[in-house]
Amino acid sequence: MALKIIVCIKTVALQAPDTKGRIPREAYTLNPFDQPALEAALELKETCGGHIAILSMGPPWATAALREGLALGIDRAVLLSDPGLAGSDTLATSTALAAALERLKPWDLLLFGSRTADGDTGHVGPQTALGLDVPMVTGAGKITLAGEELRVERKADGLVENFHMDLPGAVTIHPGGWHLREISLGGIEISYSEGTIENWSLADIGLEPDRVGENGSPTRVFSTRPIRRDKACAFIEGPPSEQADQLVDQLKDQGLLD
Amino acid sequence: METQLSEKLRIIKNSTRSFCDRELRPIAREIDQEGRFPWEAADKMGALGYFGIQAPRQLRGAGMDTLAYATVIEEISRVCAAMGLCVSVHNSVALFPILKFGSDRQKTRWAPDLATGKKIGAFCLTEPNAGSDASGIEAVARRDGNAYVVNANKVFVTNGGIADICLIFVRTAPEKGPRGISVLVAERGMSGFVVGDREDLTGMRANPVTSIRLYDCRIPSGNLLGREGQGLGIGLAALDAGRIGIAAQAVGIAQGALEEGARYAGQRQQFRRSLAGHQSIQNMLADMAVDVEAARLLVHQAARLRDAGKPFSQAAAMAKLFAAEAAGRVTDHGVQILGGYGYSKSYAVERYWRDARVTRIYEGTSEIHRMVIARGVMERYGQ
Repeated sequence: MALKIIVCIKTVALQAPDTKGRIPREAYTLNPFDQPALEAALELKETCGGHIAILSMGPPWATAALREGLALGIDRAVLLSDPGLAGSDTLATSTALAAALERLKPWDLLLFGSRTADGDTGHVGPQTALGLDVPMVTGAGKITLAGEELRVERKADGLVENFHMDLPGAVTIHPGGWHLREISLGGIEISYSEGTIENWSLADIGLEPDRVGENGSPTRVFSTRPIRRDKACAFIEGPPSEQADQLVDQLKDQGLLD
Repeated sequence: METQLSEKLRIIKNSTRSFCDRELRPIAREIDQEGRFPWEAADKMGALGYFGIQAPRQLRGAGMDTLAYATVIEEISRVCAAMGLCVSVHNSVALFPILKFGSDRQKTRWAPDLATGKKIGAFCLTEPNAGSDASGIEAVARRDGNAYVVNANKVFVTNGGIADICLIFVRTAPEKGPRGISVLVAERGMSGFVVGDREDLTGMRANPVTSIRLYDCRIPSGNLLGREGQGLGIGLAALDAGRIGIAAQAVGIAQGALEEGARYAGQRQQFRRSLAGHQSIQNMLADMAVDVEAARLLVHQAARLRDAGKPFSQAAAMAKLFAAEAAGRVTDHGVQILGGYGYSKSYAVERYWRDARVTRIYEGTSEIHRMVIARGVMERYGQ
């Protein structure tokens, strides 16, 4: 069965604002947690055939991530951008994405990154799925199609859970599940010479302004400040073999070693 | 349109940078020490289009422009100048002349394999007695039926040790002097085609620079590129394109050294403050940064002129001259900033310093470029 997949992606800033609250545009990039979702989509299309679209909600200049998607072989790119969407919290974002996804039907599978590198909430995938009333599995590390149902392996805290999910459905992708392939130069050229980014506004998705933006956001962030980390040196005493054992235990406790 | 160009260039730059940081950076020191060509990385680069950056898509190239090409070469060279050299020479003086001067049959025959990196190209002009004075080459090609019998001793061939397709500059009509020079495409495996010993060079050590010798090598007449006597023109066109690539390579080397120097200056403390807190180090860092910016702008200017179909030889000569000399200054400062560690192979900056040195020599020495530029100055401003 060929799959119609939509991957929701976000353009994020990977650096903190300067003292005047500004971040240069060059510092914005595809959310790193969306990269494995794109790869999962590309692999599924290679195995099952089908069609991949990417949907992103962001400012009108946030087109680079969509161009990268087109360069990787994504079939369709939609940028949902409207001044009325500014200030949206995760709920308003999910409402907007769900409305856009309604208009992108029919589709079989929605893929989301597990969270964003800026907001870091992990809300949007599950909230959007809820808004569309489709089943969802989070933290997928493996996805296969079996007939008309999806087999999803969920990675969680040293466990692997197996799910069978009806389609249409939605999945958030575990960061370690897939590694995004390199973008080819030819792909970039085709992305710009032949690819198009569809620009959708609030009017295109038929949403009332009070359901999105600041007015549609129950949550408001008052301020952010960077965390100061003090570096401390911990010395591990003892003969080398004991030091090694202690180090391994400490790394395991911190979740840095399996 | 301008914004879109910048975004596209940024994506090209970032994707090349991320590939090189992942695939080349971990092995750059080792391949320099061992003088080993990194096939594992080269194969991946071929699949991503690095070996056919400006080749048309119908011939399996990426179909990009000169500005994109310069950006890719700069980013590769920022991490590994030897691979930047390989890719630059392959694209600009091996593949490009075939695309510009080759017949449709020749393009179909050679370009796809070159553009995908399945075959590597080389440019064979220099001889023991003919460097800057290229018209002094002694290689001869005698027509014999439907082939040329070629005897040639070409030296300092970049990519020589791995090249499958070599553009050989020969005299097909010795009596005509420079107008009797032609280009023949020789392929590894032809009888009489010998790859000579590898040069033991100060820098660019991962690139297998060798001599290429032809002993009564029969090259089919169908391998003549362009027309007999067109060799000089082909060579000049190739080198014009090539010097933008080499200039971009020099910018990449300088950029890499600037980053190494700045990073160290921020960490190392002497006299109770970081090196970056000392004015003499600040002066060096500032001069390095300006050199890199100015060199990059000259490269981009030459690239833009070429992409616009305008005369660009002067701009390319200026870019190459300036960028190569800037790379020398910047890498020298880089070594100085790192002090004793700058002289140690445990730190990358000495490799940048060694790699930079040859950029003033190949694809036209600085002295040759000054001659070219002076001629342009007199044409423009002289009485």
